[in-house]
Amino acid sequence: MNTNLKISNVTKIYPGCIANDNVSLEFNSGKIYALLGENGAGKSTLVKILSGVVIADEGKIYLNENILKLNSPSDAKKNDIGMVFQHFNLFETLSVFENLIIDSDEKRESLREKIDTIMKKYNFSIDLDIPVLNLSAGQKQKVEIIRCLIRSPKVLIMDEPTSVLTEQETSELFLSLKKFSEEGILIIYITHKLKEVMQLCDEVAVMRKGKLVSVSQIKNENLESLANKMVGQDLKTIKKKKENNSSEQLINITNLNFTSEDPFETNLVDINFSVNRGECLGIAGISGNGQSELFQVLSGEIISNKNSIEFNKNYIGDLNPQERREYLMAFSPEDRLEQAAIPQMAIFENVALNNFKSSNFFNNGLINESKIKEHSKKIISDFNVNTDNIDLKSQFLSGGNLQKLIIGRELITSPDLLICFNPTWGLDVGAINYIHETLIKINEQNKSIILISTDTDELLKLSDKISVIHKGKLSKIMNAEEVTSEKLGILMGGGN
Amino acid sequence: MIIDVNFVGLIIASIMASAVPLILASCGELITERSGVLNLGVEGMMIIGAISGFALMTVTGSLIIAVFGAMLAGVLISTIFAFLTQTLITNHVATGLALTIFGIGISAMIGKNFVGIPGKEFPVLFEGLKDTIPLLSPILFGHSIVFYFAFALPFITSYFLKKTKVGLIVRAVGDSPESASNQGINVKLVRYACILYGGAMCGLAGAYLSMIYTPQWIENMTGGRGWIALALVVFSTWNPIKILIGAMIFGGLTIIQFHMQAIGVRIPVQFLTALPYLVTIIVLVVISRDSRKIRLSTPSSLGKSFHKDN
Repeated sequence: MNTNLKISNVTKIYPGCIANDNVSLEFNSGKIYALLGENGAGKSTLVKILSGVVIADEGKIYLNENILKLNSPSDAKKNDIGMVFQHFNLFETLSVFENLIIDSDEKRESLREKIDTIMKKYNFSIDLDIPVLNLSAGQKQKVEIIRCLIRSPKVLIMDEPTSVLTEQETSELFLSLKKFSEEGILIIYITHKLKEVMQLCDEVAVMRKGKLVSVSQIKNENLESLANKMVGQDLKTIKKKKENNSSEQLINITNLNFTSEDPFETNLVDINFSVNRGECLGIAGISGNGQSELFQVLSGEIISNKNSIEFNKNYIGDLNPQERREYLMAFSPEDRLEQAAIPQMAIFENVALNNFKSSNFFNNGLINESKIKEHSKKIISDFNVNTDNIDLKSQFLSGGNLQKLIIGRELITSPDLLICFNPTWGLDVGAINYIHETLIKINEQNKSIILISTDTDELLKLSDKISVIHKGKLSKIMNAEEVTSEKLGILMGGGN
Repeated sequence: MIIDVNFVGLIIASIMASAVPLILASCGELITERSGVLNLGVEGMMIIGAISGFALMTVTGSLIIAVFGAMLAGVLISTIFAFLTQTLITNHVATGLALTIFGIGISAMIGKNFVGIPGKEFPVLFEGLKDTIPLLSPILFGHSIVFYFAFALPFITSYFLKKTKVGLIVRAVGDSPESASNQGINVKLVRYACILYGGAMCGLAGAYLSMIYTPQWIENMTGGRGWIALALVVFSTWNPIKILIGAMIFGGLTIIQFHMQAIGVRIPVQFLTALPYLVTIIVLVVISRDSRKIRLSTPSSLGKSFHKDN
């Protein structure tokens, strides 16, 4: 049974941007196709058109020579096109089984049997009767995949599936995808991660600014050639100069504990570490092992024992984030839109949120708008944020630009320590490169960084010392040169 | 002092009767809120139901037309709310408040001609069994059909939400309208239906007040019961069985504090009047304390407008 999917001259125009400009592509079952492009290149729009969520302005889609009418998600389902979205389409408070039965016409018992068969076949193990919010990201994705498989799809589209997965979960996913492909399911894999394309796919189509740039066989490509096609310019690879840093301690954490009342949070147990000036300490780990709690304790969102955090010879464990900022600490939280910025507020208003005594953003309780705007303009130009409109609501910035703005906002006061949590999560290569360069620069200016990240490559590239967090406990601190990603992987899984 | 068991039975029955409008309105609003829509117009829809029921009964003389007419009136006024919030994407809170103010105003206007007109007797069921079992008879027998329906409703609602496909779809829409829409569920249709159902139940609750509980029309006769019904939904953490408990406590304390005032207990009247509100909320907060359960039963999209863009 061969499946042939053809996209012919598809165009989709949004106000102010052409998301898909006359895109034509052809796919055949038995192969895994990559659709590669930076954020905003139009990949997601294209797959949304394929899954009926978005309706194309022009163009046609053929499945096995038959023209498809895709006006709603149910049309795609009827035509055996399955889709796993980047942001899960699950109902968090419903049980796994309820999530699966909701769009199925089968009886409870027969559906349960079918799910059991699928889970056995692909070695998934998920409790069907617990609410989805108790699942890990990897398990949630499996639920989405099962939902597609129930309908025995001809085409399976995966939109940036690994952005929330650990390395272990990613390799499991790849095994499953290869199995699906062998069974004759046509797989379209959307990503901006080059490594994954090289590992998994047979053919790659590159998109840039809504246009299809190239279609080629993976065996004729390598990481650099793909990166250049994707970004449209030559990328320089950056490396950190490993120097002997000063031995002056900047921050010292002793016997830090945090016990949460929320059953969904992780407790932190006896955290001890120190960071010297000019040093970058990387903290690796699978997400959900206490990283966000550690970040909150370090940033002062969660207040701890006064003596447990010593910063620049002051005990600051009981201070809130604002007070810690006055001691020249800076923070870049994980969730850009929820924690770091207020999406509905303008860029300059978001800048004003990081309010220092010395910044004079407010006079006698009134907003000093010209001062803030001047400051914002400086951030935008210094940190390469791609907009000149500081009145723009920050939700309209792309992830990369928003992250640059946030890092810029934090760094413009030249803090002694920057604590960042997954700073390049979900960003494209260009933006990641820029953020990495910036972080390296900070270290070169003899400032320190605590980098909490789930991206092992990033940690190995930027850190001087690395520790692994597992179930709220830190491993011993290792020199980055002595660490390999395999070793980190073992520690992240709880091994020795 | 000898307490007549049948007298105790009668008091319990009167407590249950006063809980009926709260149960009806709360269970209706619960379905609306489970789909993610916050309709603060409960009070307005109830009072519209009350005047429509009473007016239709007086004009047509038919109780059946009056009861169903009141429900239809609730549906009609909630259609305005549904059109505004779902089609024109207005703010749920502001629209709901406007609905209440509108309902109170228009019911007073229509009601002018019906003040002082006596109501009709509403038929009761199982009247012949009223003296068969001590204590239980007055509780179980001799009530209107609406009464029995109200006490079955929390269980029906619970079954509907937990066990039926449509109930699952309602919960799914309330949890994440975006995901539901991407799954091919027509979010607007589901929300429209839930709003209209809520309107029908509020209309019925109002009709119970003006036709059965105190068969007459008095301006503003719902007297804040709509707001209590709303509070019951939230403090019961969207659990129909807990709504039943809350409504009984509220009804019970309202009746008991009347008796206490009548006996002349030396407690300030204001405190006694406030007692049902305080105790109901405290009890519901205590029985619904589990943060995990709150997270699981709160409709995540409650009060948020959903607009599908292509």
